[in-house]
Formats: sequence, C-alpha cells, structure tokens
Amino acid sequence: MKNIIKELELKSKEIRLKLIKLSSIESIHIGGDLSSTDIMTVLWQYKMKYKYQDEFRDRFILSKGHASALLNLEQAMLGCYEEQKVYDEYAKDESMFAMHACNMKNPYIEISTGSLGHGLPVACGIAVALKLKKNNKSYVYVLMGDGEQSEGSVWEAAMNATKYKLGNLVVFIDNNDLEADGHINEITSLGDIGNKYKAFGWNVININGNSIKELVETVDNLPKPNTDIPTVVIAHTTKGYGVSFMENNLRWHAGKINEEQLEIATNDLLGKRNNNE
Amino acid sequence: MNNKIFLRDVVGNYMLNLGDKDEKVVVVNADLMGTCRNKTFVEKYPNRSFNVGIAEQNLVSFSAGLSAEGYKPYAFTMAPFMSMRACEQVRTDIAYGNKNVKLIAVYSGLSGGISGPTHWAIEDCGIMCSIPNMIVVEPSDKKEAESLLEESLNINKPIYFRITTESTKDIYTEKTKFKIGKSNIPIKGNDGAIICSGVTVQFAIEASKIIEEKTNKKFRVIDMHTLKPLDEKEIINACNTKNIIVVQDHNIIGGLGSLVANVIATNNLNTKFKILGIPDIYPVIGHANYLYNKYGYDTEGIVKTAIKMLKED
Repeated sequence: MKNIIKELELKSKEIRLKLIKLSSIESIHIGGDLSSTDIMTVLWQYKMKYKYQDEFRDRFILSKGHASALLNLEQAMLGCYEEQKVYDEYAKDESMFAMHACNMKNPYIEISTGSLGHGLPVACGIAVALKLKKNNKSYVYVLMGDGEQSEGSVWEAAMNATKYKLGNLVVFIDNNDLEADGHINEITSLGDIGNKYKAFGWNVININGNSIKELVETVDNLPKPNTDIPTVVIAHTTKGYGVSFMENNLRWHAGKINEEQLEIATNDLLGKRNNNE
Repeated sequence: MNNKIFLRDVVGNYMLNLGDKDEKVVVVNADLMGTCRNKTFVEKYPNRSFNVGIAEQNLVSFSAGLSAEGYKPYAFTMAPFMSMRACEQVRTDIAYGNKNVKLIAVYSGLSGGISGPTHWAIEDCGIMCSIPNMIVVEPSDKKEAESLLEESLNINKPIYFRITTESTKDIYTEKTKFKIGKSNIPIKGNDGAIICSGVTVQFAIEASKIIEEKTNKKFRVIDMHTLKPLDEKEIINACNTKNIIVVQDHNIIGGLGSLVANVIATNNLNTKFKILGIPDIYPVIGHANYLYNKYGYDTEGIVKTAIKMLKED
C-alpha cells in the first residue's frame, strides 16, 4: 500500500512537471490541471481498467473539458500515444489535441467536452446503457469542476442518476474553490456541494483531493458497479497546486509561462521551494 | 382516404415497429410521452424506455450517452424545447460527435396554435439546418412519415424529425417510394412549382388544383420532406417553370425558403420567386389554421400568390 502511494505521488509529480513544460510551449488551463492532477493520476495510473475499445473498460468523461492537457498527458503516460506528440501537437493546426477535450482525432477520449454541464448528463446515458447491456464490471468516471456545479443541467442529471440507480457512476468534483472570475461562493451562492448531492440521494465522500493517500483509500473502497447508488467524491483541492506563484491565484486559470517562471515552477515541484508553507 | 390523420400519432405509434425490428432501439421522453404518443412502445418495452422528467437538456445528453454505447435512441419532446431549450446539447453532444440519435420534435411551426408562442417552433429549421452533421426531415403524410422513420433506423447519423400537430391528409399511395434527401412530386406541372414540406404540402396540392381551374396553368408540387440534405437537382429543374413559390410553416428567415433561395442564387438561375411563411414576427394568438390563413400560407394564400405571379409575365 505504502509503495503504491509513493509510486503514485512520484507519477503525480511527473505529470505536474510535464504540465509545466507544456505550459511553457502553449497556453493551457494550468490552474485547474494542477488541482486535478492527483485525482487524474490515481484514476488513470491506478484505479481505472482501461483497454482501448474493450467492452469492459471503465469509461472516463472529462466534464471539465478545459483540463484536456492533463488528460492527454495521463493518456500518454498510460501508453496511448507518445508524450512528445503532446508537446509537438497540442493546440497546433490540424492537431489531435485541442484546448478542450476533443475526440475527432483522439479516439481515447470517449466524449468530446468543453462546454460545462454536459459530461454528467452524457455519462448517465452511458451508465444506463452499460446496465442495459448487463455490463456489471465497468465504472463510468466523471471529473467535474466546482464552478461547473452552477450549470442547471448538472442537477437534471443528478436526479436522473438516482432514478436509474446508477451505482456504476462515480463523479469526482475538483473543488478548488476558484472559477474563472473569482471564488465560487462569491460568483454564486453554491454552498455545500456534498449536501446538495446527498439531498438527491447520492453517496457523498469528502476528501483532500491533493492527497494521493486519501484518493487511493477512496477508490479502493468504492461501491461495486452492480450497486444502486451513484457516488460523488468532493475532492477539496488547491488551484495551481504545487507551484508557488500559481496556487490560489486567479491569474493562472489559464496561461503560458516564460522561462523564468518555468524555472521557479520546476524548482517548486522538485521540492526546492524556499518559502515555508 | 382518411381525412384527419395526426402525424404525432403515426410517428409515436410507429416506434413499436422499430422496437420490434431492432432491439437496439430505445425511446427517451421528457415527461411528454402522452403528447408524443409513444406509450405503446413504452408499455411493450419498459426496459428500453426512459423518462428523464421535464429536463430537455438532459433528454438530449442522456440520449447521446446511450448512443455512445451502441443503442439507437429516439428522443421525443416538443420542437421549441428540442431546438432551443436543448440547442447546445443537440449541437455539442449529438451533432459534434455525430451520434446516432433521432430527435422527434412535435408541435412544429405554428401547429401548437392557441398554446401560444412558447409552444411554437418557427425558428427550428434555421437552427437545425445550420448544425453540421444534422439531417432535417419534415414529413407531410402518414405513409411518408412511416417510410422515413423506417429508413432512419439504418442511418447512423443524427436526424431531426419536424412533426406537425395539425391534421394531415393521405397524399401518397402504398406504392410510393420515399428516400431521405430525395423530394417527392405528388402533382406534376410545368407552369410553376410550389416547393413545400410538412403540413403545407396538403395546402399546395389543393392550391395547385384551384390554380389550374382558374388559370389553366399547372403548378408542380414538390414535397421537400428533407430540408437537409436538400434535393438541389429538383429545385434546379423546377426553375425552368420560371415561377417558384416556397411554402413553409416557419419564419420567413432560415426556413425552406432561404434554403431554396440559396440554391437558386448559387446556381445563377433566373426565375420569379416568392417565399410564404411567418413574416419575421411572433404572430397573434390563434388556432393554427387561422394563422396559416392570416399570414397567407394556406391554400388561399398560395393561390393568390400564384395568380399574382402569373400576371407578372
């Protein structure tokens, strides 16, 4: 167990270094990429059964489609394609990698996303279809943002998921408290996200979403796909996690960094940070 | 000949045939199963029927998810909600991913009548035709509706079915063949052409007979049941008559008229041309037939337009 956590922590750090490298080449949604990195690494490099086109693979929907760079790097780490391809082609003309998850040229993406509030409703259709096909082995994982919870379509789907008893549906909410224009509770009165899902009949788990240990414990103890109650993991995270000048800084919702910033960010991630947090 | 047939009954009930034929067919409702008349399918195949409640965005996205796993969803609601409330879901979750989802939209045009503007869809052709990958179909009679629905089963692409709630008449015989993308010509004629779809086809057929009685000129009726992809060849042929009237239960902007005008202009064709439809306003409250008359696109309106057009020679 300890070894797995250590290994995943290293992989998470590796992914963050790759994200920083990519953001020195192209503008990416770096703040939300860094907050979601631990969730995504635990899913893609540990929990998910993923074999391309296999009927019994787990499905993954990136509802916060703007974290496409992170998804691409996780898929590259898993061996779907070469990592170098991401640096060479991300957001280039005719590319397979867009700034929002696009499956027109990337077949490893189940559903194209980008506009918020679409991932969960589509995932409910997939989850119900799996049940109809008597596939009791596959999970449908969804990663949403916290600001995304303002979309009404999310709550249409939240009702639908309990009605159709989608125990195979597991949603992670990257609760980094910041959306594009400010703090989530200043932009809207969102309040306690977990209690809202609880009111709709969901199984709700609150954890530190930047703790590999807590994430591993959570995914190790998920209800089985053949159960009846959908699960939402409210993953409390820090936007820009791991990079000193980006943490909790709205400026880094998206952006490209210069050479000096690359050096600071790299040092931060390698543990060479000077300040005491 | 049965005089009062409602296409939403025809389409809703025909789902049972599709369901019997293909176990991948599923029906998704948004609390309008009764209105959309697909109860017979829901009762026979409860496991393949879903009702997401009054949540049209979810209706469309949920159907996209079912399609992603190989099912063939037929999603039902009213045309204004399908095309506008769930517009971005249609575009992003269905069309962008080219998903095999059939959108069955009842209450097209002003057929919602006294329900009022919230229940009219006078913008939906413009919206749906401008969405890439989307096929747009508007049947005019029972035989045509059933035939096009049957064909849709084997088309692995999104299709928007625009279904009127006004009554229709039998136009075609059992032997008539239909194909998505190919128009039908219920009335032949070389002195003019009335290009129409859906509820207006029956008006055009009546009008063509009256025009002949009054002027001895024969107007061809072209039932353009597929608005996209458009049967351009038949439009180009029709321009040889030099008198083209397009009739639509839709706003004058963005409907069949605009689509036909585009073909005429891009092919540099020379013809007189008139579009009948809703003159870019939200009409007054009224029954559909009253409104069709008031805005001049029922039988009487078509006849008047044709006679005026012929006098311009």
